[in-house]
Amino acid sequence: MSPPGASPPPHPPGPARRLLERLVAGDPAGPSILGDLHEDFVRVARRRGGFAARWWYRREVVALALDRGAAASSSLLRRNGPVHDMLFRPGWMQDARVGLRRFRREPGFALLLVLVIGLGVGATTAVYSVLRPLLIAPLPFEHPERLVWVENDGDRASLSSVTSRTSNLRDFRASSRSFDGVTGYFAFFEQSSYALSGDGPPEELVGVGVADDFFDVLGVTPVLGRDFTPEEGAWNGPPAVMLTHRLFTHRFEADPDIVGRTITLNGRGWEVVGVLPPSFDFSSVFKPGVPVDILVPFAISDETDRWGNTLSIVGRLRDDASVESAQADLDALLSGIAEAQPDRWGLAARVSPLRDYVSGAFRPVLFLLAGAAGTVILLVCVNVANVLLARSPRRSREIAVRRALGATRGQVVRQQLVESVMLATAGGGVGVLIATLVSRGVARTSGVDIPLLSSVQVEGSALVIALMSALVTGVAVGILPALRAADGSESGTLRSGGRGSSHGKGTRGLLEGLVVAEVAIACVLLLAGGLFLRSFQQVLEVDLGFEPEGALAWTLNPGGAFESVTEEADFYREVSRQLSDLPGVESVGLIDALPLGKNRSWMVRADHQLPSDPPSEIFPHLADPGYRAAMRIPLVEGRDLAWTDTDETDPVVLLNESAAAALFPGENAVGRDVMLGSNAWRVVGVVADVRHVGPERPAGLQVYFPITQLWDYGTLDLVVRSDRAAAEVADAVSATLSGLDASMPTRQVTPLPASVDRIVSPRRFALRILSAFGVVALVLVALGIYGVLSHSVSERRKEIAIRMAVGATAESVRRSLVLRTAVLALAGLVIGLAVGLVGTRTVESLLFGVAPTDPLTLVGLTGLLLGVSLLSGTVPAVRASRTNSARVLKE
Amino acid sequence: MATDKLGEFELLVLLSILRQGDEPFANRVRDDLEEHAHRRVTRGALYRTLDRLADKGFLRWSLDTAEVPERGGHPVRRLEVTEAGLAAVRRSRDVLTSFLRGLDPLLDAPS
Repeated sequence: MSPPGASPPPHPPGPARRLLERLVAGDPAGPSILGDLHEDFVRVARRRGGFAARWWYRREVVALALDRGAAASSSLLRRNGPVHDMLFRPGWMQDARVGLRRFRREPGFALLLVLVIGLGVGATTAVYSVLRPLLIAPLPFEHPERLVWVENDGDRASLSSVTSRTSNLRDFRASSRSFDGVTGYFAFFEQSSYALSGDGPPEELVGVGVADDFFDVLGVTPVLGRDFTPEEGAWNGPPAVMLTHRLFTHRFEADPDIVGRTITLNGRGWEVVGVLPPSFDFSSVFKPGVPVDILVPFAISDETDRWGNTLSIVGRLRDDASVESAQADLDALLSGIAEAQPDRWGLAARVSPLRDYVSGAFRPVLFLLAGAAGTVILLVCVNVANVLLARSPRRSREIAVRRALGATRGQVVRQQLVESVMLATAGGGVGVLIATLVSRGVARTSGVDIPLLSSVQVEGSALVIALMSALVTGVAVGILPALRAADGSESGTLRSGGRGSSHGKGTRGLLEGLVVAEVAIACVLLLAGGLFLRSFQQVLEVDLGFEPEGALAWTLNPGGAFESVTEEADFYREVSRQLSDLPGVESVGLIDALPLGKNRSWMVRADHQLPSDPPSEIFPHLADPGYRAAMRIPLVEGRDLAWTDTDETDPVVLLNESAAAALFPGENAVGRDVMLGSNAWRVVGVVADVRHVGPERPAGLQVYFPITQLWDYGTLDLVVRSDRAAAEVADAVSATLSGLDASMPTRQVTPLPASVDRIVSPRRFALRILSAFGVVALVLVALGIYGVLSHSVSERRKEIAIRMAVGATAESVRRSLVLRTAVLALAGLVIGLAVGLVGTRTVESLLFGVAPTDPLTLVGLTGLLLGVSLLSGTVPAVRASRTNSARVLKE
Repeated sequence: MATDKLGEFELLVLLSILRQGDEPFANRVRDDLEEHAHRRVTRGALYRTLDRLADKGFLRWSLDTAEVPERGGHPVRRLEVTEAGLAAVRRSRDVLTSFLRGLDPLLDAPS
């Protein structure tokens, strides 16, 4: 580790450096080339930071590899005449020219195929671009593969259960042998905020407290200024603040002179010590959906240790350590501490790679999307192959002529392949365009609880994926029709009078087989999409226990310092009173943490439990008397909190139904006591459960303490319920709040439905992608069936004419064709459902409230696919039934 | 065996090596060309040109121990233009000079 404040010496990325070593291994000047790149890498790192420099290094190595590859191939080709001739002889260009002429003659057909392939390539590339930052690209830190997440061993839904005391971090630093560095940040940073005043309108900032070596351990160097010093990281140290690049550009107009200046936060002066690089996005990695503006030092000291579990810990493994050895190391260390200090609590550590922590929860859904994208590209291949195959009789005469004039089978196949690869390459271009638009949209999406979404972009590796999938599609869709075309018997075709031969039974069977495959593939995709849609509906139907509609929320951060807790309570009571008097305001409430946002947990016991009994973990809520009504949380029994509950009356609490049932099973909780430490709090009421963490998690045990009796909060959330327009209410509330405290930021208002939207955002995000894929699948199935049947009808005109001439009615012709379509669609459905029902077992964990065999989904999916199939088959069937048999037979 | 043909980029590379004085290294040459010849020089193109000039006998090089820590312990390639290289540069200069003679009024006229 470098000393605090110094930036670690940069190292080129290992894999790229090893590739370069291999690349120049046989070159006498190789060692100097390694040095040249290293020297330039250091230069770029000093100018633009380690992260940018490592990407620069990778690009340089790839460019050098491509350059050397191209040079080697051209010299090899020059030495190998036949290979050179085969690749560069005029035939290829001739084939390409023939292909271009064909596409010009049939622009609609070519455009359709290009668009279809573009959809497939676009889907694959877009999903890859979304997956890359989370699953493939390294996290934006120095040697991210050595960073680990060290958490307490509780349930991840409760932040207090997975955070650690600062004493744990100090012990890890002092005694662990596995780490080059261990650091942490204050996990409950959302409980408070920083009001920025002066230099423009007041602004509410989100700030994170970090240990003074936080950036050093992550390997992040400020682009301007310096790192925190140990003095600043001490308890009551000099107030210092590090700006995120976003705040630096938005609020301070990227003025480098801001470094060293003092800004006013919560009425106090803080020195701006540095600006973080744009590549460092705290919230994107550690807290998606919560935009962080500033980072401040957080003391790792006895004082903060008394706050209990507050730290999220990140460690950097030594070169010779692994996750397993670090886990063993910490286990041994903690059991030693437990032995030496029997009263010490919170001693646990669960070590995992930082990447697993960041993206672990999203892996299943990302893999589902990857599978869906793969299915779409497969569907595209089948669809395009089908169309090309269906059109092959039209080309058979041309091919027969070429064969008769001496073209080899290989040349015929090559011609067809060149055409399909040309189409696929053009489709690849369209796909990249689609993927770029989708990626930009995704990167700009705000309020989605998925990490690293802002890093989504179509970059080099995504372009390679697009190119590869386009080429593979081109070859895959071209090979089958090409081989069938080349197999045609040219003499028969030439004798058939120029109309081109019709499909043989074999080809027709193949075409119908492909239609069945399309329906089956679409069925798998739609089954996954349908189940996800039903899960989403179930999530939205969950009773949250409160009513989000019609409620607006603010975070209140009064700028003035209060002399006493009574004065603070009086201020909030006045806030509540004045806002309640506003026209159109139904109710006003205050709480330390609204549902679906922040959470923390405390331990309590019921009055009948002994101090030696294990305590129960609860979500504590500090609320005012108006909160329950403002949120429309039903009161089940007893009374509500009241302004008359003060520090001079008995301490009182409300329990939710789950807490009442868990703490006082089978008894009436009202009138009983809940013990918080050694203090007894009288239960005066029971309220309905609220899904505090999210609709997919149980409510848990909740205890409501009055803000007039307990002051363990940094800021309070205000909720105002009104039937007036949100903008009108927001203006009136802002004006009232500013009248009460001019320095209090009041502009950042959140409608409660937006909080619900944010909490279900990962599901909605995945559902949108799956829905888009589902629509694409349906369109492709419709196109496939329509195309094949249309061709089949035009091929069988004579047969249909003869049947009608000998007495078949138009109705029977229509029926037989529609029946054929139904048979094909049903066959596809049976296969698709069989595969899909096995496949959906693997994503069962992503479903909510529905089984993989959900009857509604299965019935809906069957109906939808059958409907689309029959509709697509009906048009050609009607056309066939209008055949004028006399005219056709005369042709 | 020196061939006397010298392409434009090869000439610029040789001139740049001569301009570097005590530090005739590939990175310096690349920076010089980008800054003063106003052209984007890829690493691959520069290394290939250096190899080609060495094959033509216009260039010699040797690996020296690097004095600076920024090279990560890797040696540096010291480039040296040979007599044949100097002769080729002179020939190119003479051809250019003779072709430019008398064109100053035309070239310096305001466009």
